[in-house]
Amino acid sequence: MKKFLLTLIAIIVIAGGGLFWFVTHKPGSPFDGETASAAPADLVHRGEMVARQADCVACHSTPDSKPFSGGLEMGTPLGSIFATNISPDKQTGIGNYTLADFDRAVRHGVTPDGKRLYPAMPYPSYVKMTDDDIRALYAFMMNGVQPQNVPNKPSGIEWPMNMRWPLALWNAVFVPSGTYAAKPQQDEQWNRGAYLVQAAGHCGACHTPRSVTMNEKALDEGGTDFLAGALLDGWYAPSLRQDHNTGLARWSEDDIFAFLKNGRNKHAVVFGSMAEAYNNSTQFMTDDDLKAISHYLKSLPGDPARDGQPWAYVAATSATGNAGKPGAQTYAAKCGFCHGTDGRGKNEWIPPLAGAASSLISHSESQVNVTLNGSARVVTADIPDAYRMPSFREQLSDRQIADVISYVRSSWGNHGGPVTPEDVKALREHTDPASSNPIVLQMR
Amino acid sequence: MQLQINNKTHEVDADGDTPLLWVIRDNLGMTGTKYGCGLAQCGACSVLVDGEIVRSCVTPLDSVIGRSVTTIEAIETDPVGKAVVAAWVNHQVPQCGYCQSGQVMAATALLKQTPNPTEDDIAAAMVNLCRCGTYNFIKTAVNEVAGRKEASL
Repeated sequence: MKKFLLTLIAIIVIAGGGLFWFVTHKPGSPFDGETASAAPADLVHRGEMVARQADCVACHSTPDSKPFSGGLEMGTPLGSIFATNISPDKQTGIGNYTLADFDRAVRHGVTPDGKRLYPAMPYPSYVKMTDDDIRALYAFMMNGVQPQNVPNKPSGIEWPMNMRWPLALWNAVFVPSGTYAAKPQQDEQWNRGAYLVQAAGHCGACHTPRSVTMNEKALDEGGTDFLAGALLDGWYAPSLRQDHNTGLARWSEDDIFAFLKNGRNKHAVVFGSMAEAYNNSTQFMTDDDLKAISHYLKSLPGDPARDGQPWAYVAATSATGNAGKPGAQTYAAKCGFCHGTDGRGKNEWIPPLAGAASSLISHSESQVNVTLNGSARVVTADIPDAYRMPSFREQLSDRQIADVISYVRSSWGNHGGPVTPEDVKALREHTDPASSNPIVLQMR
Repeated sequence: MQLQINNKTHEVDADGDTPLLWVIRDNLGMTGTKYGCGLAQCGACSVLVDGEIVRSCVTPLDSVIGRSVTTIEAIETDPVGKAVVAAWVNHQVPQCGYCQSGQVMAATALLKQTPNPTEDDIAAAMVNLCRCGTYNFIKTAVNEVAGRKEASL
């Protein structure tokens, strides 16, 4: 009996010690032991492009802060967390990070003192970035960015939920290991697109649905949930798969390219979170990279069962009686001058509501949100566009917004389903109007 | 590109996404059409395109190629427009006047499409904003063109 107890205690101690080691250990880096060396200008320049691809600035800067000095508040169900200062300041930033430290933080979510980052930092995607890209990114962050002495804000998450070590176990289960492995059966352009979408681009962080354990349900084209559309932070990020209604089936590769390059095409204009992703990230990518992304996205099959009855335009006639519906008058007075009484928008400048993914997906959040709050200015090559969606939260009641969106979602063949005033009220209370200032976050 | 405005062909050097309003005012110097909000909210920039009311501040140039644009400068060449302006003068509708060219365009578009509008039709179509609050005068003037006598205020 005594022997049994001793064995049990020994097992517990060993298992506990093993667990302690596992949740605090620092993963290895291919850069371990490498000493700092001067970064050539072209490496810094390449790193700047990687930083745009990864859109680091979107979270680690705010419109009012110096580049990369941190500060963006991210609400979680447990409390707010704040993006940290990643400028090369030695006291408050990452100025003391070696390349290996930097690699561990970006690709594995582990700080130099062994603490685990919250996966709000998209390391489950960045883990796929190549060693070359990490080296270039480090060169840019250390040499292209000005140090900013700005202390990090403490997170609002309280004990015991603020303990980070369980994340090591989460990582072990949900985070893939290793960099992107090219698929030899696919061509070079497809693989480049897959790499950008899955790794630095971290498109799935918004566009892939998450499980109850908060991990993305799929991290590459192997899963049918990959980029299948998801609700995040008051916006529904639509499917990027070949879904006729809610995805990209009606978009050509050129259409996707134009959307990422110019922020617009004849199907849609960037809005909500995508307007920021466009302003700060996709517009800076090279044409070849954007074409690769477009090529790759066109290879992801849709799911007719999820997507529903294929949309086709139905013209409003006096017989179908659009005019009598609730919301029709609000549409005519507030929406129709831009989006057209026929719902078809104006060329690529003002997006159609007829057949828009947001008019066809059962999630109404994006349409409610953009009507309440308007959208950010789309800024292309430093020039803000002439047309923007204004905020209607002060002009229209919850009932009026519900009616007009229900009108849009049931006209011209749309079948997204009705919206209630309660839906509008819920979003009104925890969203803010978009700034009318043109905002492109600067990195230098 | 070529634009048909007030029955004249204008050669304009501008990008396809330029708002029609900017071209009318800045390139062609026709300043009767006003810039109000720039967001299709107020109606001060209203013009007619093929007889339909549009807000020129949100009308990209390339959407009116091959179509006929009418601005306040030529509204009296249209018989309905002429009647609307006469009623506007008769009832002394404008106060400061800034929104009024847009109001005249909106009224003309309504009365061309619906010669005998009901009060509801008028309320539904005359949605341009007027900070002086001349709405009652506007309604009276539109009613007069529609053939309904209403006591002037």
